[in-house]
Amino acid sequence: MGLPVNHPFASGVPSAILLLFSLLFTPAQAEPAPFRTSILPILTKAGCNSGGCHGAATGQGGFKLSLFGYDPDEDFLRITRERAGRRVDYDRPEESLFLQKPARQLDHEGGRRLPRDSDDYQVVLAWIASGAPHGPEDLHVSGIDVAPNDILLPDPPDTVSLRVTARLSDGSHQDVTRLALYTSNDEAIADVSRNGAITSRGRGLTSIMVRYAGQVAAARIAIPYATSTTSADFTIRNFIDTRIRTELARLGLDPSPLSADPDFLRRLTLDLTGRLPTPAEARAWADEPGSPERRAGLIGNLIARPEFVDYWTLQLADLLLLGGKGSDDPASRQYHAWLRDQVDRNTPMDQLVRDLLTAEGDTKTVGPANFFTLSNDPRDLSEHVGRMFLGTRIACARCHAHPNDRWTQEDYHQFAAYFARVGRDGDRIQVRQRGEVDHPKSGFPVTPKPLGAPRPSHASPIPTSLSLRSEAKVGEGGSAIAEPGEGPPLRSEAKVGEGGSAIAEPGEGSSLHSEAKVGEFDRRAEVAAWLTSPDNPLFARSLVNRVWKHFFGRGLVEPVDDLRPTNPATHPALLDALAHDFAGHRFDLRHLIRTIATSHTYQLASTTTPSNRLDDRLFSHAYLRELPAQVFLDAIVQATGVPHRFEGQPDDIRAVQLVGPQVPSAALEVLGRCDRVGPCVPSGQGGGLAKALHLVNGSTLHDKLNAGIVAHLHDSNAPIPEILEELYLRTLTRPPSDEESAAWESLLARAPDRREAIQDLFWALLNSREFGFNH
Amino acid sequence: MTSPDHPPSRPGGLPRCDGVSRRDFLHLGTLAPLGLSLAGLLRLRAQTGLPPATKGAAAEACILIWLDGGPSHLDTFDVKPDAPSEVRSPFKDIPTAIPGLRICEHLPRTAALMREIALIRSVTHELGNHDTGTRFLLTGHRPTPSLEYPSLGSIVARLRRSDSPLPPYVAIPNDGVGGDSNAARSGYLPAAYSAFNVGKDPSSVPDLQPPPGVSFDRTEHRRAMLARMDSLSRAVEEGPATRDRDAFYEQAYRLIASPEAKNAFALAQEPPSVRERYGPSRLGTGCLLARRLIEAGSKFVSVIDTGWDTHQQIARELPDSRFPGSGKLPSLDRAYSALVEDLRHRGLLGKTLVLLMGEFGRTPKLNAAGGRDHWPRAGFACLAGGGVQGGRVIGATNSFGEFPVERPVTPPDLASTILQLLGIDPSRELVTPDGRPMKILADGAFIHELT
Repeated sequence: MGLPVNHPFASGVPSAILLLFSLLFTPAQAEPAPFRTSILPILTKAGCNSGGCHGAATGQGGFKLSLFGYDPDEDFLRITRERAGRRVDYDRPEESLFLQKPARQLDHEGGRRLPRDSDDYQVVLAWIASGAPHGPEDLHVSGIDVAPNDILLPDPPDTVSLRVTARLSDGSHQDVTRLALYTSNDEAIADVSRNGAITSRGRGLTSIMVRYAGQVAAARIAIPYATSTTSADFTIRNFIDTRIRTELARLGLDPSPLSADPDFLRRLTLDLTGRLPTPAEARAWADEPGSPERRAGLIGNLIARPEFVDYWTLQLADLLLLGGKGSDDPASRQYHAWLRDQVDRNTPMDQLVRDLLTAEGDTKTVGPANFFTLSNDPRDLSEHVGRMFLGTRIACARCHAHPNDRWTQEDYHQFAAYFARVGRDGDRIQVRQRGEVDHPKSGFPVTPKPLGAPRPSHASPIPTSLSLRSEAKVGEGGSAIAEPGEGPPLRSEAKVGEGGSAIAEPGEGSSLHSEAKVGEFDRRAEVAAWLTSPDNPLFARSLVNRVWKHFFGRGLVEPVDDLRPTNPATHPALLDALAHDFAGHRFDLRHLIRTIATSHTYQLASTTTPSNRLDDRLFSHAYLRELPAQVFLDAIVQATGVPHRFEGQPDDIRAVQLVGPQVPSAALEVLGRCDRVGPCVPSGQGGGLAKALHLVNGSTLHDKLNAGIVAHLHDSNAPIPEILEELYLRTLTRPPSDEESAAWESLLARAPDRREAIQDLFWALLNSREFGFNH
Repeated sequence: MTSPDHPPSRPGGLPRCDGVSRRDFLHLGTLAPLGLSLAGLLRLRAQTGLPPATKGAAAEACILIWLDGGPSHLDTFDVKPDAPSEVRSPFKDIPTAIPGLRICEHLPRTAALMREIALIRSVTHELGNHDTGTRFLLTGHRPTPSLEYPSLGSIVARLRRSDSPLPPYVAIPNDGVGGDSNAARSGYLPAAYSAFNVGKDPSSVPDLQPPPGVSFDRTEHRRAMLARMDSLSRAVEEGPATRDRDAFYEQAYRLIASPEAKNAFALAQEPPSVRERYGPSRLGTGCLLARRLIEAGSKFVSVIDTGWDTHQQIARELPDSRFPGSGKLPSLDRAYSALVEDLRHRGLLGKTLVLLMGEFGRTPKLNAAGGRDHWPRAGFACLAGGGVQGGRVIGATNSFGEFPVERPVTPPDLASTILQLLGIDPSRELVTPDGRPMKILADGAFIHELT
C-alpha cells in the first residue's frame, strides 16, 4: 500500500524544535527516526501491542495496534491518522495523546509505560516533532544477531549481558539491546532482565529467546553441574558420541556406564521392533558378552525383521494421523498397506513425502491419496504439512505474525496456497483447475511460496504428477534447488516413479493431454520438491529429531513439532550433523536408526550416578520410557502366550499391526493409544487411574492369566525354580536374582493353590515397573 | 527432592519376607502400599498448610460442562434477533424467567431457570485455534511452549482437601479436549492430579470391581507382591515417572477398597424418572454421573460434549431437524437444566459451582455452508450455584455479536473467578518439577458482578 515517505506535515514543524532535538541527541539521531525500525520497537518493548493491551483483537480503549507490531503500516496509520490524527500533535508534540497516555499524564488503564524522563519518550517526542514520518517505505529489519550466543556461566550466581544487533534492509546495523524483548526458556536455570542481563539460577542447559521487530534469535546458556568429570569408559562409536561427550564434559556430568547385556537386548528389541525378546532369544544372547561387534550385529538383525517394518509403519502412521478422521476403513487399509510397503522397501523419506504430497486418485486404491483426507481446507493442510514434515507450528500465523517465530500472515497464506487446488470428489482426491487462498486482509489470491524461502526459480516447468508417473527422476524438481557438494549425489538414483507407478490407475495413462493440463495448475509438486530438498533446513532436522526422541524419550528439540530459532536444540551441532548425515544418505531411515542405535550414547545404562542424577536433557544416562499402549498390550500377549482378539481382525494380529484407531479396542484405549485426531502425546487419552484400574481389575490381564503359559506351567508340574526363570525371562528378559528367587520360591512352595500363586506372581511381574518401562 | 507436589520416594528397605504368610503380606500391604501411604500423603498435605478457604467462598465442588469445539454464542445465549439475516440466528428467540432476557428457542428449560444462572456475554480473547483457545480457557494462562500449565481441575485436585476415596478430578468421558490432549491435564503438576477418565459410557464405568474369581483379599495380596517386586528390582530407579505410576495404583486401590466410592458410579440406582429428566444422551448421563460423584466427594467433574465446531449447517445440526426434539441444543437444554434443578432440589446448588462454556464463540456472519467459523473475540459462559447470584447478565457484545462493548471478560478473569469461588487463592504458589515456584494464575480478576 502506498504510504508517504515523508509526512506532509513534516515541512511545517517549527525549526526551533528540530534544533532543540538535534542539540539533545547524538548526531546519529538527528535524522528523524523511521517509524518501523525505531518507533514501533519502542511500543513493542513497552508492551503497548501485547495481547492483553492494544494488541488484543479488539484493541483497548478504542485504540488498536497489531499484535507485537506484525502490521507496521496499519499501526502507522492508526497512530498518525485514525480519529482525524488526534493522537499526535505536531505543534505541541508533548501534548500528543500518543505520549500523554503512556507517560500517564492522562489517565491510562495500562499504567505508565513511557516515563517522561526515559530515552524512549524522548525518541518518540522527537519523532512527532519532526512530523511523525513513516521513513523509507521499504526499510525494515531483516535479521537480528545475539552475542554471545553460546554462553557458559561457570558458577551460579553469575551474570552476563547480551548484545543484540539488528540488520536493516539498507545494509546498516543498529544496536537494539535496549529495545529487544527477552524471555528465558527455563527460569529455574537462568533469568533474563528487561535489558538482556542473564543471571544463572540453577544448573543445566537452557536458552534465552530474543525478539525484535518481527525477527527472532536465541542464546544458549549452560551452567555446569560440576567442574570436572570422568568419562573414561565413554567410547566414541560415531559422531553422536563425540558431540554428546563434549556437552557432558562442558556441563560437568559423568555419563552412566554402558547398559548391561540383558537390558540392552530388551531396550533395543522394544525400540526397533516394538516387542519383547523371547526367552530363547534372551538365553542365546546371554551365552557370551555383548561386545560392540555383537551388539552391532544384533542391531542389523533386528532392523532386517518384518516386526521392524510393522513397528516403524506404526510410527509413521501416528505421525501422519493415518485413519484418525475422514477416512473410511478400506481406504485406511490401503493407505496403511502402502505405508508398510514403503517402510519394507526402505523408500527414502524424501521420496515417501513427495509421493504423499503429490498423490491423487481414488482413496480406496491409491494409498497415499488418503493424506489429503486430513482436511478439505488448504490452510489446515498446510498446518499439517508444517507440523509433520517441517516440525514447525505455523497455525499462529493464520491470524497474526507468529510471536515467537519468523512466520508472517503472508508466509502462512502463501504456503497454504500450494494446497488450494486439492479437492475431494467422493472417494477421489483430485487436482482442480481453480482454487486460491486469499489474503485475509486484501482479499486477493496470494502467490504460493515456500515457508521462509524464495519461490524456486524453476517455477516453470514444475514437476507434475504426470512426470512422476512417467518415471522421471526426482532430480528434475530437486536438482534445481539442491546444492552440489552435499555429499553423494542424493537424487540421481531415487526414482519417484517407484511410488508413482504403483498408484497409477488403469486408463489414466491414456489421457495424456488432460494430465499435462493438470500439471499446469497442480502446485503441489513444487512445494514437495522444495520441502524435501536436502537444502531445506527443517525437513531433515524435524525427522531426525522425531527419530531421536523415539530412542531417547526426549527430542534434541522439544516439543518435536516446534523447531524454531527461539527454541534451540540442546545439542545444535548434533542435530545438524544428524540431519546432514541423514540427507547425505538419501534420507535412509534404516541408516539413521542404525547410526543412533550403534552409538555409545544410546547404549548407556538407565541407572544414574550421583553426578548425573538430575540431568534430564543431556543424555548422560538412558531415560525411562513407559511402553506405548500397543507395545504394552503385545508384550502382555507375548509373555502370557494368550492372543488378544480385535474385532474383525485375524486371530494372530498384534496391536502394533493394526491399521489405526478405527479398529475398536477398549484395552488400547484405556492403555492410551494415540487417537490420531491430533498430534499424539505419550500418555494419550488413557493412562493414569483408568489404566491402573484396568490392570488391577480389567479383563485384559485377567483373561490371559487363566490360559497360555500359566496353564502350561501349572499343568506340566515344572519345578519352582524353572517356573520362576521362565516367568522372569518372559517378562523382564532376565532370570531372577538370588534375592528374588529366595523371596518367591518359598512363597510358591507354601502356596495352598499353586495355580493361583503362579497367577499372582505373574500378575505382579506384568504390573512391575521393570516390565512397564523401557529402561 | 521433597516437596508437596512431589512426594518423597517410597520408604526403601522392606523387611525380607522369606516364609512370610499371606497374612503378613496383607500387613505389608497396608503399611507400605505403592508409593506414599494415604496417611503420609494427608500428613504431608497438612504440613504444607492448605489455605483457609477464601473468605466467603461457598463452592466446595465444581461441575464443568464443556462444549468442545466452540459453541456459537449467536445461536444460544447471545441472540441478535434484530441483526441482518447473514448474522441473525436461523432460530427464533424466546423469553426467559428474567424479564427482557431472551435466548434461543431450543433452550426452553434453561430459559425457565435463568434465575439460577448468571450469564456472561462478553468472554473475549484472541486465540482462534481449538488447542490454544481450550488451553487458555481451561488453564487461565495464554499457552506457551516452554511450560505446560495445569488445568483448573488439576489445580482443584491439588488444593482442595478431600477425605473421599473418590478421585478428586474426574473427566466424562475423558480429558482429551479441544484437539489438544493436554489442555485439561495436570501440566507441570504431577500426573497424579490429572483426571480419572471414566470412558465412553458414563452409565457403566469399567474395572471398578475385581475380576471374577479374584477376591478382594487376593487383590490386596497381589498389591503387596507388586510392592515387593518393585523393591527387589534394581533395573528401574525411582523418578518422577515411576512416582506418577505408583500414585495411580494407590488411587486405584483406594477406589477399589471403598464400596461407597464404587456406589457413586452406579447410575442404575437412580429412579427412572430422574434418568428420564436428564435425558438419554451421553451428555445427560454424564451430568447425572457428575452429580453423583460430587455428592460422594469428587471436587471437579468435567462433562465433555463434543460436536460444537459447527462450520456447517447450523440450522440443521444444532437441533437435529430429522428427529425433532433431539440434537445438540435440545439435549444440552435437557441435561443442563436437569442438573441445575436436581442440585437445587437436593440442596447442593449452593455448594456446587456449575459451569457451561467452550473455547470460543463463532463468526457473526454465517458462512456459505450455513455454518459459523471460529471467533474468539466474543463468546459466552454460564455460571450457576456455588455462591453465584443467578439471574444476572454480565457484559454485552455489539449489535452483530462481534466483540464486547461492555465489561469484557478474559479467560484469566474467568479462571480466577472459578478458583476463588472454590476457595482457592489464584496468587498462591505451586511448585514445578524442577522446584520453581509458580503463581497459579498470572492474570485475571474476580468478576464481582457474579456475587
